[in-house]
Amino acid sequence: MVNPGKRMHILKALLELRHGPGAAILPPEITRIHLDFALRWNDGHMGPRKFWKTCLPRLKFWNPAVPMLVNRSTNQTGPALMSIYFRQSAAKATKNLTPLVQQPHSSTTNECPAPPPEEEERVVTIDMKHQHSDAILTEFLQKTGATLVHPTPDEQMEMQQVEELQEKGAVDRAIVKKYLDEKRREEKLLLQARQEAEAIKLANQ
Amino acid sequence: MATPKQCISSLARLSLTSTARPTATSIPRFLAPSITQVQAQQTRYAGGGTAQMQARAREKEKLKKKRKQQRFKEYKFAVPSKAEQFSLCDAMRYLRAAEVGRPPTSVTYEVSLKIRTIKNGPVVRNRVRLPYPVKNDTRIGVICPENTNLVHDARQAGAVAFGEASLFKLIKENPNNLPFNRLICHQDSVPALNKAGLGRILGPKGLMPSLKTNTITKSIKGMMTEMVGAETYREKIGAIRMPIGNIQFNPKQLSDNIKTLVMQVKGDIEAMEDRVNKDLIEVVLTSTNGPGFSLNGGFLPTDEMIEPDHLSTAM
Repeated sequence: MVNPGKRMHILKALLELRHGPGAAILPPEITRIHLDFALRWNDGHMGPRKFWKTCLPRLKFWNPAVPMLVNRSTNQTGPALMSIYFRQSAAKATKNLTPLVQQPHSSTTNECPAPPPEEEERVVTIDMKHQHSDAILTEFLQKTGATLVHPTPDEQMEMQQVEELQEKGAVDRAIVKKYLDEKRREEKLLLQARQEAEAIKLANQ
Repeated sequence: MATPKQCISSLARLSLTSTARPTATSIPRFLAPSITQVQAQQTRYAGGGTAQMQARAREKEKLKKKRKQQRFKEYKFAVPSKAEQFSLCDAMRYLRAAEVGRPPTSVTYEVSLKIRTIKNGPVVRNRVRLPYPVKNDTRIGVICPENTNLVHDARQAGAVAFGEASLFKLIKENPNNLPFNRLICHQDSVPALNKAGLGRILGPKGLMPSLKTNTITKSIKGMMTEMVGAETYREKIGAIRMPIGNIQFNPKQLSDNIKTLVMQVKGDIEAMEDRVNKDLIEVVLTSTNGPGFSLNGGFLPTDEMIEPDHLSTAM
């Protein structure tokens, strides 16, 4: 991508990663979040999938230190659970000494199911099956007590600009589509006429 | 034709530069007709001007044309402004957010070095040994004269296939299932390799040893130790793109890797200076599914709430 103007527009789209549903700062008691659902969306796994795709990036942006793991399996009939791990004592977290490679990680082959809570940890679960992602988010915010992040006036203005740009783009796209459709229709008519003319020519011979 | 606007502008100029301009009143009457003629010549025309002015205009036009031609000889590039550049930790924060919930085995940080370069010149290509290798599945085959110490050396250094005639036979028999993914050749075996005519098989796979790709050597051992954990890179369409780290790397590791690569590419560009002029324009960090961030060379995050340590948790 070279065009600087285009680049600025795309950078503005980074706002999407910062603000919107899911932009919230979690309280410091939360040690990690674990999502467990199926690979495909049927049988009530659409909500968790959407939550992961739309809300989780923003949560991760505002809480980069909290591990958020997504463990997916091929079992469509299985449960869709979110586990939130709370630190019970206010004492500082014991440093996780196991190397990063051996720690649980996100997976698509059901490698790392939700681990049992460590001592002095408490788990809160949310059943996500057959739920809309918005409903999951409200339940999540309520159970964690997260504080929402609101865009600053500057950012709000930028967001508005992005929106306007999109609207303008839609209008322009409609105009171009109309023009192209007209062109294609004419070409089609011409082709048809030519074929007919040739057919007549052949018949005359 | 003098429009009223021009008259006014000339008046303004008169008032600004007070001296050395003869006014109409000071001219003797008997000279008046010739003076008026001179004044008529001095009014500006579109294509007019003295010979010097015309020459200058021609020169300018030529330069413009040359610049335009030059533009198509080079790949397009744009120098990013400060506003669209990020420090390493900021970029990592965005990328880790974009990659949340993906298995870390399938996600890597990638880097793209944009280079200002002409389209038909020599390209930058070399190997780099990153301090923290992204992945390590290098299997090396060695072409060297059989029944010499070289075979022993190759075996010691961990080659999966070695020899001369036997190796050629192996390659010819099952070209689609080769045990190695890198092939190097000793200098003494080059004639034999050329005679064997394996270019058709090895060429498309990018395995054919040649001086250009730095895969013909005198010391098998040195080359092999250099190759294990080394990644090749090559400039394509004015950019070098290569994976630079696992998504689980911490900021320090990633910055070490990026620094190593950038320093080496700068060295390569310097080495080519007598042949072709190239510039490193920008360093863009991206990830498998994330957006790209032009780096400004800084390390620390701009947000005070975030520390570099926060960016090294499990993904």
